[in-house]
Amino acid sequence: MKHLGGFLAISITLIVFGFENSAQAYLDPGTGSMVLQLLLGGIAGAVVILKLYWRRFVGLFRGNAREESEHSSSEDQK
Amino acid sequence: MGGVQPLPGSFRDPSGNVYQLDGRILRTVNECFSRDFDFVTSTGLFKTLATEGLLLPFEVVSSDVLGLSDPKPRYVLETPRLPFISYPYEWSFPALKAAALLHLRIHLQSLEAGVTLSDASAYNIQFQGHQPVFIDHLSFRRYLSGEMWVGHRQFCEQFLNPLLLRAFFGISHNAWYRGTQEGISTGEIRKLLKWRHCWKWNVLSHVVLQDLFQKTSTKNTKSLQDHSLAQASFPLSSFKAMLEKMFHWISQLTPLNKGESTWGDYDKTCSYSSTEIQSKKQFILEFAQTVQPGLIWDFGCNTGEYSEAALNGGARNVVGFDFDQGALDGSYRRAVERRLSFQALFMDAANPSPNQGWNGHERESLQSRASADAILALALVHHLAIARNIPLVQVVNWLIALAPQGVIEFVPKNDPMVQELLSLRQDIFPDYTAEHFIALLEKKAVIIKNEIVSKSGRVLVWFKRK
Repeated sequence: MKHLGGFLAISITLIVFGFENSAQAYLDPGTGSMVLQLLLGGIAGAVVILKLYWRRFVGLFRGNAREESEHSSSEDQK
Repeated sequence: MGGVQPLPGSFRDPSGNVYQLDGRILRTVNECFSRDFDFVTSTGLFKTLATEGLLLPFEVVSSDVLGLSDPKPRYVLETPRLPFISYPYEWSFPALKAAALLHLRIHLQSLEAGVTLSDASAYNIQFQGHQPVFIDHLSFRRYLSGEMWVGHRQFCEQFLNPLLLRAFFGISHNAWYRGTQEGISTGEIRKLLKWRHCWKWNVLSHVVLQDLFQKTSTKNTKSLQDHSLAQASFPLSSFKAMLEKMFHWISQLTPLNKGESTWGDYDKTCSYSSTEIQSKKQFILEFAQTVQPGLIWDFGCNTGEYSEAALNGGARNVVGFDFDQGALDGSYRRAVERRLSFQALFMDAANPSPNQGWNGHERESLQSRASADAILALALVHHLAIARNIPLVQVVNWLIALAPQGVIEFVPKNDPMVQELLSLRQDIFPDYTAEHFIALLEKKAVIIKNEIVSKSGRVLVWFKRK
Protein backbone atom coordinates (compact mmCIF):
# COMPACT_ATOMS: atom_id res chain seq x y z
CA MET A 1 0.00 0.00 0.00
CA LYS A 2 2.85 2.35 0.87
CA HIS A 3 4.68 1.55 -2.36
CA LEU A 4 1.46 2.20 -4.23
CA GLY A 5 1.06 5.59 -2.49
CA GLY A 6 4.63 6.53 -3.34
CA PHE A 7 4.19 5.44 -6.92
CA LEU A 8 0.96 7.45 -7.22
CA ALA A 9 2.49 10.54 -5.61
CA ILE A 10 5.45 10.58 -7.96
CA SER A 11 3.36 9.60 -10.99
CA ILE A 12 0.85 12.38 -10.45
CA THR A 13 3.52 15.01 -10.08
CA LEU A 14 5.13 13.77 -13.26
CA ILE A 15 1.82 13.84 -15.11
CA VAL A 16 0.82 17.33 -14.00
CA PHE A 17 1.35 20.09 -16.47
CA GLY A 18 0.18 23.66 -17.04
CA PHE A 19 1.98 25.39 -14.14
CA GLU A 20 0.33 28.77 -14.01
CA ASN A 21 0.45 30.09 -10.48
CA SER A 22 3.18 30.99 -8.09
CA ALA A 23 1.15 31.88 -4.99
CA GLN A 24 3.32 31.62 -1.92
CA ALA A 25 1.26 31.09 1.22
CA TYR A 26 2.41 31.74 4.75
CA LEU A 27 0.85 28.40 5.58
CA ASP A 28 2.47 25.10 4.62
CA PRO A 29 -0.23 23.31 2.67
CA GLY A 30 1.36 19.90 3.26
CA THR A 31 2.59 17.66 0.49
CA GLY A 32 -0.11 15.04 1.24
CA SER A 33 -2.87 17.57 0.62
CA MET A 34 -1.17 18.90 -2.52
CA VAL A 35 -0.68 15.50 -4.08
CA LEU A 36 -4.29 14.63 -3.24
CA GLN A 37 -5.46 17.78 -5.00
CA LEU A 38 -3.38 16.89 -8.02
CA LEU A 39 -5.11 13.52 -8.02
CA LEU A 40 -8.56 15.12 -7.65
CA GLY A 41 -7.71 17.67 -10.33
CA GLY A 42 -6.35 14.87 -12.46
CA ILE A 43 -9.51 12.81 -12.09
CA ALA A 44 -11.66 15.83 -12.92
CA GLY A 45 -9.38 16.57 -15.86
CA ALA A 46 -9.51 12.95 -16.98
CA VAL A 47 -13.32 13.00 -16.80
CA VAL A 48 -13.41 16.16 -18.92
CA ILE A 49 -11.04 14.63 -21.44
CA LEU A 50 -13.04 11.41 -21.45
CA LYS A 51 -16.28 13.32 -22.05
CA LEU A 52 -14.65 15.34 -24.80
CA TYR A 53 -13.23 12.33 -26.55
CA TRP A 54 -16.37 10.29 -25.96
CA ARG A 55 -18.39 12.94 -27.78
CA ARG A 56 -15.89 12.98 -30.62
CA PHE A 57 -15.82 9.20 -30.62
CA VAL A 58 -19.60 8.97 -30.69
CA GLY A 59 -19.76 11.90 -33.06
CA LEU A 60 -17.50 10.04 -35.40
CA PHE A 61 -20.03 7.23 -35.76
CA ARG A 62 -23.04 9.53 -35.71
CA GLY A 63 -21.39 11.71 -38.27
CA ASN A 64 -20.60 8.72 -40.46
CA ALA A 65 -24.08 7.34 -40.01
CA ARG A 66 -25.58 10.74 -40.85
CA GLU A 67 -23.34 11.08 -43.88
CA GLU A 68 -24.24 7.57 -44.98
CA SER A 69 -27.98 8.14 -44.51
CA GLU A 70 -27.75 11.49 -46.27
CA HIS A 71 -25.82 9.81 -49.06
CA SER A 72 -28.30 6.96 -49.41
CA SER A 73 -31.32 9.28 -49.30
CA SER A 74 -29.84 11.48 -52.01
CA GLU A 75 -29.22 8.37 -54.12
CA ASP A 76 -32.85 7.31 -53.61
CA GLN A 77 -33.99 10.63 -54.95
CA LYS A 78 -32.05 10.03 -58.12
CA MET B 1 9.27 47.08 23.32
CA GLY B 2 7.25 50.09 24.43
CA GLY B 3 3.94 51.12 22.92
CA VAL B 4 0.91 49.10 22.03
CA GLN B 5 1.46 45.37 21.57
CA PRO B 6 -0.54 42.97 19.37
CA LEU B 7 -2.79 40.44 21.07
CA PRO B 8 -0.78 37.37 22.10
CA GLY B 9 -2.56 35.08 19.62
CA SER B 10 -1.94 37.39 16.67
CA PHE B 11 1.53 36.71 15.34
CA ARG B 12 1.40 34.02 12.66
CA ASP B 13 0.34 35.98 9.61
CA PRO B 14 2.78 38.73 8.50
CA SER B 15 -0.12 40.47 6.69
CA GLY B 16 -1.15 42.24 9.89
CA ASN B 17 -1.94 41.97 13.59
CA VAL B 18 -4.81 42.51 15.99
CA TYR B 19 -4.60 45.08 18.79
CA GLN B 20 -6.78 46.03 21.67
CA LEU B 21 -6.75 49.72 22.56
CA ASP B 22 -9.04 51.23 25.17
CA GLY B 23 -11.57 48.48 24.60
CA ARG B 24 -11.47 48.90 20.81
CA ILE B 25 -10.47 46.02 18.54
CA LEU B 26 -8.12 47.18 15.78
CA ARG B 27 -6.56 45.16 13.00
CA THR B 28 -3.57 46.42 11.04
CA VAL B 29 -3.06 45.73 7.33
CA ASN B 30 0.64 45.81 6.54
CA GLU B 31 2.10 47.22 3.34
CA CYS B 32 3.03 43.72 2.10
CA PHE B 33 -0.65 42.75 2.04
CA SER B 34 -2.21 46.03 0.93
CA ARG B 35 -2.49 45.09 -2.78
CA ASP B 36 -4.45 41.96 -1.93
CA PHE B 37 -6.57 43.87 0.56
CA ASP B 38 -7.32 46.59 -2.02
CA PHE B 39 -8.25 43.96 -4.57
CA VAL B 40 -10.63 42.11 -2.23
CA THR B 41 -12.21 45.42 -1.21
CA SER B 42 -12.71 46.34 -4.89
CA THR B 43 -14.66 43.11 -5.50
CA GLY B 44 -17.27 44.12 -2.91
CA LEU B 45 -16.87 40.75 -1.21
CA PHE B 46 -16.27 42.19 2.26
CA LYS B 47 -19.49 44.19 2.11
CA THR B 48 -21.52 41.29 0.74
CA LEU B 49 -20.32 38.85 3.38
CA ALA B 50 -20.77 41.38 6.18
CA THR B 51 -24.30 42.20 5.01
CA GLU B 52 -25.16 38.50 5.05
CA GLY B 53 -23.82 38.28 8.61
CA LEU B 54 -21.06 35.85 7.61
CA LEU B 55 -18.14 38.22 8.18
CA LEU B 56 -17.53 40.69 10.97
CA PRO B 57 -17.98 44.19 9.50
CA PHE B 58 -15.16 46.72 9.75
CA GLU B 59 -14.44 50.39 9.31
CA VAL B 60 -11.16 51.79 8.08
CA VAL B 61 -9.89 54.24 10.70
CA SER B 62 -6.83 56.48 10.84
CA SER B 63 -3.63 54.47 10.40
CA ASP B 64 -2.09 56.61 13.15
CA VAL B 65 -4.54 55.48 15.80
CA LEU B 66 -2.15 52.88 17.18
CA GLY B 67 0.91 55.12 16.96
CA LEU B 68 2.84 52.44 15.06
CA SER B 69 5.72 53.66 12.93
CA ASP B 70 8.03 50.71 12.35
CA PRO B 71 6.46 49.49 10.21
CA LYS B 72 3.56 51.87 9.83
CA PRO B 73 0.46 49.93 8.85
CA ARG B 74 -1.08 50.67 5.46
CA TYR B 75 -4.56 50.50 6.95
CA VAL B 76 -6.11 50.07 10.38
CA LEU B 77 -9.51 48.39 10.56
CA GLU B 78 -11.83 48.65 13.53
CA THR B 79 -14.23 45.78 14.12
CA PRO B 80 -17.04 45.47 16.66
CA ARG B 81 -16.01 43.94 19.94
CA LEU B 82 -17.49 40.48 20.47
CA PRO B 83 -18.95 39.74 23.89
CA PHE B 84 -16.84 36.62 24.31
CA ILE B 85 -13.99 34.88 22.50
CA SER B 86 -14.17 31.10 22.41
CA TYR B 87 -11.89 28.45 20.99
CA PRO B 88 -12.69 25.39 18.86
CA TYR B 89 -11.65 23.07 21.68
CA GLU B 90 -14.49 24.54 23.70
CA TRP B 91 -17.14 24.23 20.97
CA SER B 92 -19.72 21.48 20.83
CA PHE B 93 -20.03 19.18 17.83
CA PRO B 94 -22.87 21.17 16.21
CA ALA B 95 -20.99 24.44 16.78
CA LEU B 96 -17.80 23.09 15.19
CA LYS B 97 -19.89 21.77 12.32
CA ALA B 98 -21.59 25.16 11.83
CA ALA B 99 -18.17 26.84 11.84
CA ALA B 100 -16.84 24.36 9.26
CA LEU B 101 -19.81 24.96 6.98
CA LEU B 102 -19.43 28.73 7.35
CA HIS B 103 -15.79 28.50 6.35
CA LEU B 104 -16.62 26.45 3.24
CA ARG B 105 -19.52 28.69 2.29
CA ILE B 106 -17.35 31.80 2.53
CA HIS B 107 -14.60 30.16 0.51
CA LEU B 108 -17.02 29.17 -2.25
CA GLN B 109 -18.52 32.65 -2.32
CA SER B 110 -15.03 34.16 -2.40
CA LEU B 111 -13.95 32.08 -5.40
CA GLU B 112 -16.94 33.41 -7.32
CA ALA B 113 -15.50 36.90 -6.71
CA GLY B 114 -11.97 35.89 -7.74
CA VAL B 115 -10.81 35.70 -4.13
CA THR B 116 -9.48 32.78 -2.11
CA LEU B 117 -8.73 32.13 1.56
CA SER B 118 -5.10 31.84 2.55
CA ASP B 119 -5.73 29.50 5.47
CA ALA B 120 -8.42 27.47 7.20
CA SER B 121 -7.87 28.16 10.87
CA ALA B 122 -10.87 27.43 13.08
CA TYR B 123 -9.66 30.27 15.31
CA ASN B 124 -10.71 32.66 12.53
CA ILE B 125 -14.32 31.95 13.45
CA GLN B 126 -16.14 33.22 16.50
CA PHE B 127 -19.72 32.94 17.66
CA GLN B 128 -22.34 35.57 18.28
CA GLY B 129 -24.77 33.47 20.27
CA HIS B 130 -25.16 30.35 18.16
CA GLN B 131 -24.24 32.15 14.91
CA PRO B 132 -20.71 31.62 13.66
CA VAL B 133 -19.01 34.64 12.11
CA PHE B 134 -15.69 34.91 10.26
CA ILE B 135 -13.38 37.43 11.89
CA ASP B 136 -10.12 37.44 9.94
CA HIS B 137 -10.21 39.95 7.08
CA LEU B 138 -6.62 39.21 6.18
CA SER B 139 -7.37 35.62 5.20
CA PHE B 140 -8.86 36.91 1.96
CA ARG B 141 -6.56 37.42 -1.02
CA ARG B 142 -6.66 37.43 -4.80
CA TYR B 143 -7.16 33.99 -6.36
CA LEU B 144 -4.47 33.08 -8.85
CA SER B 145 -5.45 30.87 -11.73
CA GLY B 146 -4.64 27.22 -11.10
CA GLU B 147 -3.74 27.53 -7.43
CA MET B 148 -4.64 24.89 -4.91
CA TRP B 149 -6.72 24.92 -1.75
CA VAL B 150 -3.80 25.94 0.43
CA GLY B 151 -5.76 25.53 3.65
CA HIS B 152 -7.03 22.02 2.88
CA ARG B 153 -4.74 20.22 5.30
CA GLN B 154 -5.47 22.76 8.02
CA PHE B 155 -9.19 22.47 7.34
CA CYS B 156 -9.00 18.71 7.77
CA GLU B 157 -7.04 19.00 11.01
CA GLN B 158 -9.06 21.78 12.58
CA PHE B 159 -12.58 20.97 11.36
CA LEU B 160 -13.02 17.67 9.55
CA ASN B 161 -11.01 15.25 11.68
CA PRO B 162 -12.41 16.46 15.04
CA LEU B 163 -15.92 16.07 13.61
CA LEU B 164 -15.13 12.58 12.33
CA LEU B 165 -13.94 11.58 15.79
CA ARG B 166 -17.44 12.04 17.20
CA ALA B 167 -19.31 11.00 14.03
CA PHE B 168 -17.42 7.71 13.63
CA PHE B 169 -16.45 6.82 17.18
CA GLY B 170 -18.72 8.82 19.49
CA ILE B 171 -15.69 10.53 21.07
CA SER B 172 -15.81 14.29 21.56
CA HIS B 173 -12.95 16.33 20.12
CA ASN B 174 -12.57 18.77 23.02
CA ALA B 175 -9.89 17.23 25.25
CA TRP B 176 -7.74 16.11 22.31
CA TYR B 177 -8.10 19.47 20.55
CA ARG B 178 -7.24 21.37 23.70
CA GLY B 179 -4.10 19.28 24.02
CA THR B 180 -2.84 19.86 20.48
CA GLN B 181 -4.46 23.28 19.90
CA GLU B 182 -4.17 22.69 16.16
CA GLY B 183 -6.84 20.02 15.91
CA ILE B 184 -6.39 16.34 15.10
CA SER B 185 -3.84 15.31 12.51
CA THR B 186 -4.92 13.24 9.55
CA GLY B 187 -2.32 10.61 10.43
CA GLU B 188 -3.84 10.13 13.87
CA ILE B 189 -7.45 9.92 12.70
CA ARG B 190 -6.43 7.45 9.99
CA LYS B 191 -4.97 5.11 12.62
CA LEU B 192 -8.40 4.87 14.22
CA LEU B 193 -10.30 4.08 11.03
CA LYS B 194 -11.72 0.62 10.37
CA TRP B 195 -12.07 -0.89 6.91
CA ARG B 196 -15.80 -0.16 7.00
CA HIS B 197 -15.03 3.59 7.11
CA CYS B 198 -12.52 3.56 4.28
CA TRP B 199 -14.61 2.44 1.35
CA LYS B 200 -16.36 5.80 1.20
CA TRP B 201 -14.63 8.09 -1.28
CA ASN B 202 -14.59 11.10 1.05
CA VAL B 203 -12.82 9.16 3.78
CA LEU B 204 -10.54 7.45 1.32
CA SER B 205 -9.45 10.70 -0.30
CA HIS B 206 -9.36 13.27 2.53
CA VAL B 207 -8.05 10.94 5.21
CA VAL B 208 -6.45 7.77 3.84
CA LEU B 209 -4.91 9.05 0.63
CA GLN B 210 -3.93 12.41 2.07
CA ASP B 211 -2.07 10.69 4.88
CA LEU B 212 -0.55 8.15 2.56
CA PHE B 213 0.66 10.85 0.20
CA GLN B 214 1.96 12.91 3.09
CA LYS B 215 4.01 10.04 4.43
CA THR B 216 5.30 8.74 1.14
CA SER B 217 5.97 12.17 -0.31
CA THR B 218 7.90 13.16 2.81
CA LYS B 219 10.25 10.29 2.00
CA ASN B 220 10.42 11.46 -1.59
CA THR B 221 10.65 15.16 -0.90
CA LYS B 222 13.52 15.74 -3.26
CA SER B 223 11.73 14.01 -6.08
CA LEU B 224 8.63 16.13 -5.46
CA GLN B 225 10.65 19.32 -5.33
CA ASP B 226 12.29 18.40 -8.58
CA HIS B 227 8.89 18.28 -10.16
CA SER B 228 7.78 21.67 -8.84
CA LEU B 229 4.88 20.55 -6.68
CA ALA B 230 4.52 24.10 -5.37
CA GLN B 231 3.94 25.29 -8.94
CA ALA B 232 1.43 22.61 -9.87
CA SER B 233 -1.94 23.57 -11.28
CA PHE B 234 -5.36 22.74 -9.85
CA PRO B 235 -8.35 23.59 -12.04
CA LEU B 236 -10.80 26.06 -10.55
CA SER B 237 -13.69 23.70 -11.33
CA SER B 238 -11.98 20.96 -9.28
CA PHE B 239 -11.29 23.44 -6.47
CA LYS B 240 -14.97 24.41 -6.28
CA ALA B 241 -16.10 20.80 -6.58
CA MET B 242 -13.79 19.85 -3.70
CA LEU B 243 -15.26 22.57 -1.48
CA GLU B 244 -18.83 21.71 -2.47
CA LYS B 245 -18.35 18.00 -1.80
CA MET B 246 -16.72 18.76 1.54
CA PHE B 247 -19.68 21.02 2.40
CA HIS B 248 -22.16 18.29 1.48
CA TRP B 249 -20.26 15.66 3.45
CA ILE B 250 -19.90 17.75 6.61
CA SER B 251 -23.52 18.89 6.50
CA GLN B 252 -24.52 15.22 6.78
CA LEU B 253 -22.25 14.33 9.71
CA THR B 254 -24.04 13.57 12.97
CA PRO B 255 -22.66 12.43 16.32
CA LEU B 256 -22.50 8.74 17.00
CA ASN B 257 -24.07 8.45 20.41
CA LYS B 258 -22.85 5.36 22.12
CA GLY B 259 -24.97 5.19 25.25
CA GLU B 260 -27.18 7.87 26.63
CA SER B 261 -25.85 11.23 27.73
CA THR B 262 -25.85 11.64 31.51
CA TRP B 263 -27.17 15.18 31.52
CA GLY B 264 -28.76 15.68 28.11
CA ASP B 265 -32.16 14.77 29.52
CA TYR B 266 -31.58 16.36 32.91
CA ASP B 267 -34.51 18.73 32.51
CA LYS B 268 -36.68 15.59 32.23
CA THR B 269 -34.92 13.38 34.80
CA CYS B 270 -33.94 15.83 37.56
CA SER B 271 -35.42 15.68 41.03
CA TYR B 272 -37.45 18.87 40.56
CA SER B 273 -41.20 19.10 40.17
CA SER B 274 -42.58 21.43 37.50
CA THR B 275 -43.62 24.03 40.11
CA GLU B 276 -40.14 23.93 41.59
CA ILE B 277 -38.65 24.50 38.14
CA GLN B 278 -40.97 27.45 37.66
CA SER B 279 -39.99 29.06 40.94
CA LYS B 280 -36.31 28.56 40.10
CA LYS B 281 -36.84 30.18 36.69
CA GLN B 282 -38.72 33.04 38.31
CA PHE B 283 -35.79 33.64 40.68
CA ILE B 284 -33.32 33.82 37.76
CA LEU B 285 -35.68 36.03 35.77
CA GLU B 286 -35.96 38.49 38.63
CA PHE B 287 -32.18 38.49 39.12
CA ALA B 288 -31.57 39.26 35.42
CA GLN B 289 -34.30 41.92 35.37
CA THR B 290 -32.68 43.70 38.29
CA VAL B 291 -29.02 43.37 37.32
CA GLN B 292 -29.41 43.65 33.49
CA PRO B 293 -26.04 41.97 32.87
CA GLY B 294 -24.25 42.30 29.54
CA LEU B 295 -22.64 38.88 29.89
CA ILE B 296 -23.58 35.99 32.16
CA TRP B 297 -21.50 32.86 32.59
CA ASP B 298 -23.71 29.89 33.36
CA PHE B 299 -21.61 27.10 34.86
CA GLY B 300 -23.22 23.70 34.52
CA CYS B 301 -25.67 25.17 32.04
CA ASN B 302 -27.10 21.82 30.98
CA THR B 303 -29.46 22.37 28.05
CA GLY B 304 -29.70 26.09 28.79
CA GLU B 305 -33.12 26.24 30.41
CA TYR B 306 -32.03 28.78 33.01
CA SER B 307 -29.74 30.61 30.60
CA GLU B 308 -32.87 31.23 28.59
CA ALA B 309 -34.67 32.48 31.70
CA ALA B 310 -31.82 34.95 32.27
CA LEU B 311 -32.04 36.15 28.66
CA ASN B 312 -35.80 36.55 29.04
CA GLY B 313 -35.09 38.65 32.11
CA GLY B 314 -32.87 41.06 30.19
CA ALA B 315 -29.37 39.58 30.11
CA ARG B 316 -27.84 40.48 26.75
CA ASN B 317 -25.55 37.44 26.32
CA VAL B 318 -25.15 34.15 28.11
CA VAL B 319 -22.17 31.84 27.73
CA GLY B 320 -22.88 28.47 29.27
CA PHE B 321 -20.38 25.80 30.27
CA ASP B 322 -20.90 22.09 30.63
CA PHE B 323 -18.85 18.95 30.08
CA ASP B 324 -21.68 16.71 28.94
CA GLN B 325 -21.93 16.41 25.17
CA GLY B 326 -25.65 15.66 25.24
CA ALA B 327 -26.27 18.81 27.29
CA LEU B 328 -24.12 20.88 24.90
CA ASP B 329 -25.92 19.50 21.84
CA GLY B 330 -29.24 20.29 23.53
CA SER B 331 -28.06 23.81 24.36
CA TYR B 332 -27.10 24.40 20.75
CA ARG B 333 -30.51 23.18 19.58
CA ARG B 334 -32.24 25.46 22.07
CA ALA B 335 -30.18 28.49 20.98
CA VAL B 336 -30.89 27.86 17.29
CA GLU B 337 -34.58 27.08 17.67
CA ARG B 338 -35.30 30.05 19.93
CA ARG B 339 -32.70 32.37 18.36
CA LEU B 340 -31.04 33.04 21.67
CA SER B 341 -27.87 34.99 22.29
CA PHE B 342 -26.62 31.89 24.05
CA GLN B 343 -23.50 29.88 23.40
CA ALA B 344 -22.75 26.67 25.32
CA LEU B 345 -19.12 25.63 25.59
CA PHE B 346 -17.34 22.50 26.73
CA MET B 347 -15.73 23.18 30.07
CA ASP B 348 -15.08 21.15 33.17
CA ALA B 349 -15.42 23.63 36.03
CA ALA B 350 -12.72 21.71 37.91
CA ASN B 351 -10.35 22.09 34.96
CA PRO B 352 -11.23 25.24 32.99
CA SER B 353 -9.37 26.27 29.82
CA PRO B 354 -5.85 27.39 30.74
CA ASN B 355 -3.43 29.89 29.24
CA GLN B 356 -1.59 27.89 26.61
CA GLY B 357 0.11 27.83 23.25
CA TRP B 358 3.14 29.82 22.19
CA ASN B 359 4.81 31.48 25.13
CA GLY B 360 1.95 30.26 27.30
CA HIS B 361 -0.34 33.06 26.12
CA GLU B 362 -1.44 32.34 22.59
CA ARG B 363 -4.82 31.07 23.80
CA GLU B 364 -6.05 32.63 26.98
CA SER B 365 -7.58 31.05 30.02
CA LEU B 366 -11.22 31.65 30.74
CA GLN B 367 -10.57 34.28 33.39
CA SER B 368 -7.88 36.21 31.55
CA ARG B 369 -9.98 36.27 28.37
CA ALA B 370 -13.00 38.10 29.69
CA SER B 371 -14.89 38.90 32.81
CA ALA B 372 -18.55 38.23 33.29
CA ASP B 373 -21.02 40.70 34.71
CA ALA B 374 -22.73 37.89 36.56
CA ILE B 375 -22.60 34.13 37.04
CA LEU B 376 -25.12 31.38 37.44
CA ALA B 377 -23.97 28.25 39.25
CA LEU B 378 -27.07 26.11 39.53
CA ALA B 379 -26.70 22.58 40.88
CA LEU B 380 -22.94 22.87 40.45
CA VAL B 381 -21.46 23.18 43.93
CA HIS B 382 -22.11 19.55 44.96
CA HIS B 383 -20.38 18.28 41.82
CA LEU B 384 -17.24 20.17 42.77
CA ALA B 385 -17.38 19.80 46.56
CA ILE B 386 -18.50 16.17 46.73
CA ALA B 387 -17.83 14.48 43.40
CA ARG B 388 -14.44 16.19 42.96
CA ASN B 389 -13.46 16.61 46.62
CA ILE B 390 -12.77 20.35 46.24
CA PRO B 391 -13.08 22.00 49.68
CA LEU B 392 -16.32 23.98 49.91
CA VAL B 393 -14.47 27.15 50.87
CA GLN B 394 -12.43 26.98 47.66
CA VAL B 395 -15.54 26.42 45.55
CA VAL B 396 -17.26 29.44 47.11
CA ASN B 397 -14.21 31.71 46.75
CA TRP B 398 -13.68 30.66 43.16
CA LEU B 399 -17.29 31.45 42.24
CA ILE B 400 -17.23 34.84 43.96
CA ALA B 401 -13.98 35.73 42.16
CA LEU B 402 -15.54 35.03 38.75
CA ALA B 403 -18.09 37.83 38.76
CA PRO B 404 -19.29 40.68 41.00
CA GLN B 405 -22.72 39.09 41.43
CA GLY B 406 -24.67 35.99 40.65
CA VAL B 407 -26.93 33.19 41.72
CA ILE B 408 -25.60 30.01 43.30
CA GLU B 409 -27.70 26.97 44.10
CA PHE B 410 -26.84 24.85 47.09
CA VAL B 411 -28.08 21.25 46.95
CA PRO B 412 -28.23 19.69 50.44
CA LYS B 413 -27.07 16.19 51.33
CA ASN B 414 -30.56 14.76 51.60
CA ASP B 415 -31.36 15.64 47.98
CA PRO B 416 -31.55 12.54 45.75
CA MET B 417 -28.86 13.87 43.41
CA VAL B 418 -26.35 14.27 46.26
CA GLN B 419 -27.42 10.93 47.74
CA GLU B 420 -26.53 9.34 44.42
CA LEU B 421 -23.06 10.90 44.55
CA LEU B 422 -22.54 9.55 48.04
CA SER B 423 -24.13 6.13 47.49
CA LEU B 424 -20.88 4.27 46.77
CA ARG B 425 -18.46 6.26 48.86
CA GLN B 426 -17.72 7.40 52.36
CA ASP B 427 -19.21 10.73 53.41
CA ILE B 428 -16.11 12.75 54.25
CA PHE B 429 -17.93 16.06 54.03
CA PRO B 430 -19.16 17.01 57.49
CA ASP B 431 -18.99 20.72 56.58
CA TYR B 432 -21.18 20.34 53.53
CA THR B 433 -24.28 22.07 54.90
CA ALA B 434 -26.41 25.00 53.73
CA GLU B 435 -25.53 26.95 56.89
CA HIS B 436 -21.79 26.54 56.36
CA PHE B 437 -22.16 27.44 52.67
CA ILE B 438 -24.03 30.67 53.52
CA ALA B 439 -21.47 31.53 56.21
CA LEU B 440 -18.59 31.13 53.73
CA LEU B 441 -20.43 33.22 51.15
CA GLU B 442 -21.12 36.01 53.63
CA LYS B 443 -17.42 36.43 54.32
CA LYS B 444 -16.89 37.82 50.83
CA ALA B 445 -20.32 38.78 49.58
CA VAL B 446 -23.62 40.29 50.57
CA ILE B 447 -26.64 38.07 50.19
CA ILE B 448 -29.35 39.98 48.38
CA LYS B 449 -31.94 37.23 48.44
CA ASN B 450 -32.19 33.54 49.15
CA GLU B 451 -35.03 31.13 48.64
CA ILE B 452 -35.68 27.45 49.19
CA VAL B 453 -36.88 26.10 45.85
CA SER B 454 -37.41 22.37 46.41
CA LYS B 455 -38.87 19.95 48.93
CA SER B 456 -35.39 18.53 49.51
CA GLY B 457 -34.25 21.98 50.64
CA ARG B 458 -32.30 23.27 47.64
CA VAL B 459 -31.43 26.92 48.20
CA LEU B 460 -30.91 29.64 45.61
CA VAL B 461 -28.68 32.46 46.79
CA TRP B 462 -28.38 35.81 45.02
CA PHE B 463 -25.06 37.32 46.07
CA LYS B 464 -23.20 40.54 45.46
CA ARG B 465 -19.45 40.65 46.01
CA LYS B 466 -18.27 42.97 48.82
